[in-house]
Formats: sequence, structure tokens, C-alpha cells
Amino acid sequence: MKPAEASLPSDTEVLVKRSFDAPVRLVWRAYMEPDLMRRWCGGPPGWSMPVCEMDMRVGGKYRWRWRSDEHGQEFGFTGEVLEVTPHAKIVHTQIFDAGNLGVSMGGEPSIITVTFQETNGITTVTTTIRFASKADRDAAFATGMTDGMETNYKVLDGVLGEM
Amino acid sequence: MTQLDQAFAALADPTRREIVVRLARGEASVSDLVGHFSLTQPTISSHLKVLESAGLISRRKVAQLRPCKLVPERLKSVTDWLEQVQEIWEGNYKRLDALLAELKQAEKKDRRK
Repeated sequence: MKPAEASLPSDTEVLVKRSFDAPVRLVWRAYMEPDLMRRWCGGPPGWSMPVCEMDMRVGGKYRWRWRSDEHGQEFGFTGEVLEVTPHAKIVHTQIFDAGNLGVSMGGEPSIITVTFQETNGITTVTTTIRFASKADRDAAFATGMTDGMETNYKVLDGVLGEM
Repeated sequence: MTQLDQAFAALADPTRREIVVRLARGEASVSDLVGHFSLTQPTISSHLKVLESAGLISRRKVAQLRPCKLVPERLKSVTDWLEQVQEIWEGNYKRLDALLAELKQAEKKDRRK
């Protein structure tokens, strides 16, 4: 499958799109069941997900927390489920819990919309993160910039091709 | 609005993204761009104004031509960020690929039973 594509549909939104070689009923389970979620959302090697509590009904709450096993750093997300359409769409709020990282990603919740669409056994997942304000998006931007300083730079043209 | 702010706003528009892609291949004048996009000169000019105030392009003063050039450093701060977003998500998604393959396998086995 082609790698994830990120783009900026508006000045307060970030969109990430990716297709998976599996029917939507399985992709949906991977998003809804904490035991499955933990396996793929648990972070890169060296990180674990000590808290993965999810009540994925409208009005239900979730709490995710990650921990770096080596350095003991922790951060997470919490939020509330706003909308659920089985095998098609989930909308939830998201508040960044800075744990002990000492960074801020803005205080207001962002709204995350995840849609699932299956065509011939391939499921495309589109995630839209809508920040409460441009200031919050910039704070997320600043966090990304600090965390990823060592990221290798690609050729400008290649990056543009993906935009 | 900070310039970074403006860069995000400027790049949220598909026509402006296409202008940026065109300028990545080299300098172009307004009339080059009008020809390339089949848009009116005022439309192109207003897009260029947004890109210029966001610091994404610069314009030379050569008679009345004012050719436009990409400012790669500014664009890079935005694309770097998007790339990081992509990398973080792709890391998770690769693990999801593996998990889904496993779930598919398990379904097949169940069916055979």
C-alpha cells in the first residue's frame, strides 16, 4: 500500500489518508477494540501504551497514554466520542495530555473525524484533525518541529509531488 | 498572523499549491502563469500576493515582468512538518498492516473449521 499522505485542507485542519489491504470490518475492529488498538497504536519500538481505555459509543470517553520504556517519558490523549456510524465513520474530540514531556499542544480540544471506505477489499481510512484554532495548530506544529529535528530531509520536488 | 500561519493558509488552496509546484520547476512571470493555468491575470495576481506575503515566493523587479521565484526555505518548514506527520502515522499504519494480515488469516482459519 502507498504510504500515508498528509495534506492541509484548510488553515486549521490536517488530513491523513492511507489505504489498507483488508475489508472494512477488520479495519473497524482494529480501531474499536482496545486490545487490537494497542498493538498498532502502541508507538515505535521502545514505547508502550500502558493506558488504552475506550468506550466507543456516542458520549463515551477514551484515554490513551504512551510511555517510553527507556526514558520514562509519558504523554497521551483523552477525549469524548461524538458520532459513530459502524464501518463508516467515527468523530471524537481530542485533548493532548502532555504527561511529563513539558510541551504544549494548545488547550482546546481538536475534533478528529475518521472515515472508512471499502472498495474491492481495500479500505481507505481518512483522518481529519481539526484544531480549535490556528494557534493550536501552530503549537502542534512547533511540537512536531522540536521532536523531529533529526528527520531526514527529502528532495523538495518529491515532497511537492505528494502535496 | 505569523508568516508560518500565512504559509499554512496559503497552501490550503489547491490553485496556490499548483502555482508552487510550477515554480518549483523554475522562475515564471505572471503571464507565464496565466497561460499555464488558463486563469485571468487578476486571479493569478491575487494568488501570488497571498504567496508572497506568506514568504513562500519572492518577486524580482525586472521592468514590468516581476518574475516569481519559490522561496524553498519557507516551503520546507511546512513540508518538513507534513513529512513528520506522515512518518509518525505511517509507523502506526505499518503495524496496522501486519495486524490486519493476521486478522484476515484468522478469519480464513475460522471459515475452514
